[in-house]
Amino acid sequence: MKVNIKHWHGVATWHWQTQNDELCGICRVPFDGHCPSCRYPGDTCPLILGKGCSHNFHLHCILKWLEQSSSKGLCPMCRQIFTATVLEGVGAPDEIAQLQELENSHRVAREQAEVGDAYELPNDVL
Amino acid sequence: MSTPAKRRLMRDFKRIQLDAPSGVSASPVPDNVMYWNAVIIGPADTPFEDGTFRLAMQFDEQYPNKPPLVKFLSTMFHPNVYATGELCLDILQNRWSPTYDVSSILTSIQSLLNDPNISSPANVEAANLYKDHRSQYVKRVRETVENSWNEDDSDEDEDGEDEEDDDE
Repeated sequence: MKVNIKHWHGVATWHWQTQNDELCGICRVPFDGHCPSCRYPGDTCPLILGKGCSHNFHLHCILKWLEQSSSKGLCPMCRQIFTATVLEGVGAPDEIAQLQELENSHRVAREQAEVGDAYELPNDVL
Repeated sequence: MSTPAKRRLMRDFKRIQLDAPSGVSASPVPDNVMYWNAVIIGPADTPFEDGTFRLAMQFDEQYPNKPPLVKFLSTMFHPNVYATGELCLDILQNRWSPTYDVSSILTSIQSLLNDPNISSPANVEAANLYKDHRSQYVKRVRETVENSWNEDDSDEDEDGEDEEDDDE
């Protein structure tokens, strides 16, 4: 018998390479799903890995938290200073830049707070 | 209309229905997922034992990046609860984290009942009795426990328990 293959369709599954926690602690949607502001999971709604503390979040979830001056730049899980490991090639460059800017502005605010008295962020760190 | 805050609140609702911590319950009011009614049962072996304390939780579109406004509807006698029913609890103010949800807020309030923070009292009388006259404190708390059973259907007007059904 001779078989001619006329068409074939590749099928694949994917998931983020995370250790074990399967839910984003902020929105409580699985990491492989999308944050409440997005419509599709994947590269446009990437995961951000905590560098200091190994807590992971959807990029858009942690961005919204760090935009709050009341966050003081801390990880929502463990209250350590949040710094991100950005996976290569994921996330819109402007959003990644915004994340790093927020980390920086919180760092500056912390340094100023050590010198001065009250911890006060310059209004709207965007 | 679905918003991130509402989607998160529906997840909170699902979680508290599937896996409610013991002694607390909560649900959104029928036509507004941003406003919840909750009940905390006073923990066993405390003066608050068996009280059914009702609370209201008001969320806004910033949830979970901002905490909800939480207040007791039941009359409370507790060092960290104001006469208005509002509470002084760090996680609802400067130690809020977006990883908290309805279940964890209510569990925190439940454990605050028997573990008040005396250093920054919202009710000075309760704080002083708690410190210096514990038996009087317990007596005042027991009164609020009994009250909590009588106010069930008469929402805001606590003296009107005789009126049958005053919905117009």
